[in-house]
Amino acid sequence: MADIIHADDLTKVYRGKVKAVDHISFHVAEGEIFGFLGPNGAGKTTTIKMLNTLASITEGRATVAGHDVAKDPGAVRKSIGVVPQELTADDELSGTENMMLMARLHQVKGATARSKVETLLRLVDLEDAAGRKVKTYSGGMRRRLQLVMGLLHEPNVLFLDEPTLGLDVQTRSKMWHYIKGLNKERGLTVFMTTHYLDEADSLCDRIAIMDHGTIKASGTPAQLKEAHGGDIITLTLAQDKENLTGFLSGIEGVQGVTRDGKVYRIRLPKMEKALPAIVAGVVQKEAEIEEITFSKPTLDQVFLDVVGRSMRDEETSGSDSAWENIKMERTR
Amino acid sequence: MLDETAALTFRALRKWVRNPASIMPGLFTAMFYLALFGSSFNPANLIPPGAGSQASSILQATFGGAPTYITYLTSGVICIILVFNMAFGGIDLVLDRQLGYLNSLLTAPVPRAAIYLSGVVQNLVKVLILAVLTFVVALIIPNGLQLPSSFSVLDFFGVFVAFVLLGLGLSFVFTALALTVRTIDSLVAIVNFLTLPIMFMSNAFFPSSSFPGWLKAIADVNPVTKANEAARLLIVNGSLSSSQAATYGWDVAYLVVFASLLGLLGYFAARRALRPE
Repeated sequence: MADIIHADDLTKVYRGKVKAVDHISFHVAEGEIFGFLGPNGAGKTTTIKMLNTLASITEGRATVAGHDVAKDPGAVRKSIGVVPQELTADDELSGTENMMLMARLHQVKGATARSKVETLLRLVDLEDAAGRKVKTYSGGMRRRLQLVMGLLHEPNVLFLDEPTLGLDVQTRSKMWHYIKGLNKERGLTVFMTTHYLDEADSLCDRIAIMDHGTIKASGTPAQLKEAHGGDIITLTLAQDKENLTGFLSGIEGVQGVTRDGKVYRIRLPKMEKALPAIVAGVVQKEAEIEEITFSKPTLDQVFLDVVGRSMRDEETSGSDSAWENIKMERTR
Repeated sequence: MLDETAALTFRALRKWVRNPASIMPGLFTAMFYLALFGSSFNPANLIPPGAGSQASSILQATFGGAPTYITYLTSGVICIILVFNMAFGGIDLVLDRQLGYLNSLLTAPVPRAAIYLSGVVQNLVKVLILAVLTFVVALIIPNGLQLPSSFSVLDFFGVFVAFVLLGLGLSFVFTALALTVRTIDSLVAIVNFLTLPIMFMSNAFFPSSSFPGWLKAIADVNPVTKANEAARLLIVNGSLSSSQAATYGWDVAYLVVFASLLGLLGYFAARRALRPE
């Protein structure tokens, strides 16, 4: 399939000194859901801002739907739908009024606009709340409204910046359902950022992992797990007497060992092959095994391997969540 | 571009109409200035009893022939209402930026000029409605605004031509300022720094002829003074003599130039403020 987004050596430097995005190149095929995964401050939002014309490009080049972002921003804006991280629907207007305004700003008017607004609100189950002011909506309803506000002009590409930030598990899975539906039924290309690993795994056809402004790895979730994952044996000893890291690393088939006190995390391509040798070796070292667990590769492992720290550590920093709470409670 | 400007202006005005309480602070300010300031600072209070009609005549001449101080003060208060409400009206635009609404406009195919112009128009409409209400309040309060018997609907429009031009110039510049700053604190700090000098270095409360020379020189070129002078000529006299009509004409021309220059300045400042990060 043809590329609908093409980025070549894209770089963004703020005020001549803060390099937010550092020479990244990628492409997104038409009809694909492409995810940018990374911790807070990785450069995901800045990349989206450059592609949707909100931020200028310091170096490099990008095209969206065949239009050069720097040279023809007006054509790019007509081709894209943008669902930002912030909840931007106007609280004092109803769902329908917000949609009609957005339709008018995209030159969708009259009966066409009314029909599209109705259809899209029904698509995200907001038809009953359409006449209510947005300030009475829950966080999930606002996100759903925002999602369809970006679709009124039938864009070629939909940019979603952290589409489920601050939502509960149930509402998040509903959002995934809507996004998948739009992609499959309408063939809409989706470019999204997220720092939820399960979201990226469940939704995206391809993923790029970003950190410190650069792309550290990219591919399908399966490719990434195969390349950076492997099976994991978590071995918990009864006592923390002797450091067995060196010993365990020397066993054939073991790719890596990390230790946290009496807990060892052993990474290997196929656990079945090395497991007997590991158990025998530990027994030989006269160490008592308290617990042994196995796990299949996850994106969390990939992330840990690529970025060097767990995404959970990033999530607990909570800066985005705090911001989100302020937005949800805001009054205009 | 006009369609987008109208759509965005309509959004702001719809919200404003749905919240009628938002007009109250401005209206109360106008009432306090007219009823309280107008009564307590009334220069006629300084004339000792028995000073005779000559003192009253001198006072009346000083205040351009206005029969009461509130008659003189009304246009001044309306100008002050214009200045303050235009200046602080930009808070909604700063909020739009802070809450991400502005970004949703910037990623849509909306001309940047439409975003700016809608800010200018919505601010102007809101403040002019407040100005009309202030005029009505001045008429209603006891010993308030006393219009001459010859004052016609045409004169009323003539008064408001001056206010519209002053308001337009102010809206051009304060809307651009609101799009430029990133926080409400910054806007409030700048606006507070600007509004008081604009108010006191004008003939809003007292004639500039009573000012020290340096202050008079500044006040006489202040657009607030020009708008006041034009509006007062009609409020106090109704039908104008040819020399008064010439003064009115020059004041209006001055305000047209003022509004045009600030429109140009505001447009370029807004364009700069709305360009990509």
